[in-house]
Amino acid sequence: MSKALAVLGITLALAVASGARAADPVTISFWHTYNSDSNENKTLTEKVIPAFEKANPGIKVDAQVIPYPDFRQKLLTSIAGGTAPDLARLDIIWSPEFAAIGALEKLDAMPNFMRLKASVFKGPLSTNFWNGGYYGLPLDTNTQVMLYNVDQLKAANISPPRTMTQLKAALTKLQKKQGDKATGWGFVVPGPYNWNLLPWIWSNGGDIVSKDYKRASGYLNGPKTVATIQMLYDWFKAGLIAPTLAGAGLGSWEGVGAGQYSMTQDGPWAYPALKAQYKDVNIAHALFPSGSAGSISVVGGENIAMFKGAKNKDAAWKFLQFMLSPSAQMMMAPTGQIPVINAALKDPFIVNHPYYGLYLTQLKTAKARTPIPQYAKMEDIVQGAYADIFAGKATVKAALDAAALKVDDLLK
Amino acid sequence: MTAATANRTHRLSPARRRDAIFALTLVLPGLAWFLAFNAYPAAYSFWISFHDYKLIGPSPFVGFKNYVRVFSDPVVLIALRNTLVYALISVSGQLVAGLSLALLVNQPFKFAKPFRVIYYFPVVASWVVVSLIFSFLFHSEGLVNYVFSDLLRLYPAHRAWLNDAATALVAISILGIWKGAGWSMLIYLAALQGIPVELEEAARVDGAGPWHVTRFVTIPMLRPTTMFITVMLTIGAFQAFIQFFIMTAGGPNHQTEVFLSYMYNQAFTFLDFGYSSAIAFVLAVLIVAISFIQMRYFRDRS
Repeated sequence: MSKALAVLGITLALAVASGARAADPVTISFWHTYNSDSNENKTLTEKVIPAFEKANPGIKVDAQVIPYPDFRQKLLTSIAGGTAPDLARLDIIWSPEFAAIGALEKLDAMPNFMRLKASVFKGPLSTNFWNGGYYGLPLDTNTQVMLYNVDQLKAANISPPRTMTQLKAALTKLQKKQGDKATGWGFVVPGPYNWNLLPWIWSNGGDIVSKDYKRASGYLNGPKTVATIQMLYDWFKAGLIAPTLAGAGLGSWEGVGAGQYSMTQDGPWAYPALKAQYKDVNIAHALFPSGSAGSISVVGGENIAMFKGAKNKDAAWKFLQFMLSPSAQMMMAPTGQIPVINAALKDPFIVNHPYYGLYLTQLKTAKARTPIPQYAKMEDIVQGAYADIFAGKATVKAALDAAALKVDDLLK
Repeated sequence: MTAATANRTHRLSPARRRDAIFALTLVLPGLAWFLAFNAYPAAYSFWISFHDYKLIGPSPFVGFKNYVRVFSDPVVLIALRNTLVYALISVSGQLVAGLSLALLVNQPFKFAKPFRVIYYFPVVASWVVVSLIFSFLFHSEGLVNYVFSDLLRLYPAHRAWLNDAATALVAISILGIWKGAGWSMLIYLAALQGIPVELEEAARVDGAGPWHVTRFVTIPMLRPTTMFITVMLTIGAFQAFIQFFIMTAGGPNHQTEVFLSYMYNQAFTFLDFGYSSAIAFVLAVLIVAISFIQMRYFRDRS
């Protein structure tokens, strides 16, 4: 026993001594939601972090996987308990909320910030802006485009629709029925959420809030938004688009895999996932169909943010900068993480990629969801209205009128 | 309990005293656990319910504002309705199913014991797993629609059972009954075996058939057991969470919300911890009140 203690004591003493000798002995913690057995996580832990640690001796990065559904709860608990990580990869819709509760560090005064700010895409960058400053920087980005089943469109003798009018015509041709029962739908909108419905609303010239995020009345229930949702509801009622919008039918991936849905809307993760599970389905990408305002999709992705309680802000800032360097961005790119730096646009990997180019084109006009701290509540109200509409419980106008009043209250 | 033990140690012989200290040591870990992970969070949550709780920085005191909100929130009414309906269906279902199963496996036939184990199995299965299985069963492309619509042709179009408050409540109640019936069975079984055989024999000698023996001898003898099961199950039903959270997440548009799912969303989706804590304490008062009424009812009748 005492011998063991002595050994332990000497080991500890040596560890302390050797630690003291190193130049900058710090460990920074970084929380993210890449699945533990995913390519993203493998690349992060086997390539990106080792490269950073090699270039910055004395700084260790402790990267922790937190499953997406638990992430908010875990982060909130640790913020309340004062044990938040130094850095985290946050869903872009969470940034303003975490900034507003005072959890995030404002980065504007950090060395090199202006150069870094100028090096990234403007749309994703804007999701970090709150109350006059930047509380993070974009880390990866994505948007939704249209995916279609090549064989089914060929069989129906149609080319991928480029406009809503062409889409409507294609839907009629692609619909399949056995007697009264619908068995095939031309398009699936994966669910009644803003993420899926905003591309329709924006492309048709509508919106859900004013540009200064102060009012929803006149926008969420404005004539163009109402007309767009009404169009989708009519298509759904006529069996032209899948019942998934009303919480029935197969999910969008399962339905596309089973050949029930010919077209869908989704992000860059969808193609590899569909290919892995449904090898025989021949899928290709196209831009989101244009409406009267063009083809305007929704920006997704993640930001990297520093926490106020970070113990080693200098080291954390070094790692944050490294994550936005061309080498780190291009290491993560093959795993489905679309880079956010302007320099990536000319990189041969991006230029020669079968579909990243299309996503980047779509991103040029894509818009971010309302970047406000109250977003979770706003989404809940708007989602409730969509759910009532597609369940047939309220007319489009009535549901959106009521929701607009509630969101007005929230934005005050 | 521990305070009493501590006081008594003064007057005890050294041997008894050692025993008492030993007993106290055994109780301590459990007590420490209870204080740290039950009593302290509950007290802290009570404090939070009177504040506009901020994760960082000072939380302003708001008095009864959060409680006033509970009583003016239409979704709380929906949650109350859903909780009551779920409690009514699932508790009565578990009582009937549990008693029937207990009477069945109490018969002296050969395979009674394996069946006791089989009926008890859902009780020990994980709530998360069985909730996921049931959400697949009741999915619009799930087994229930396949059997009743495609095979038996009882209705033409597949239904999204979990997307409508009424059918979702029935589906989740069925899960509750299936999962809990084994527990009531076990308690009833123990009680059945405690009923003196002479009573039933006497009834039979008086000319009562099996139904009458069950109806007028066995069931009245089980009254204390029925009370215990009813109170415990009702408390459980009011605290239903995982099955709702996984099968519907309170949606669509909060139509299938119960107290705890709504409380969870207020805290971890909207960061409204004060309101969430107020909901928790209103629910606690409700549970105590209902348990009290139930116990009075059973006591008056017996």
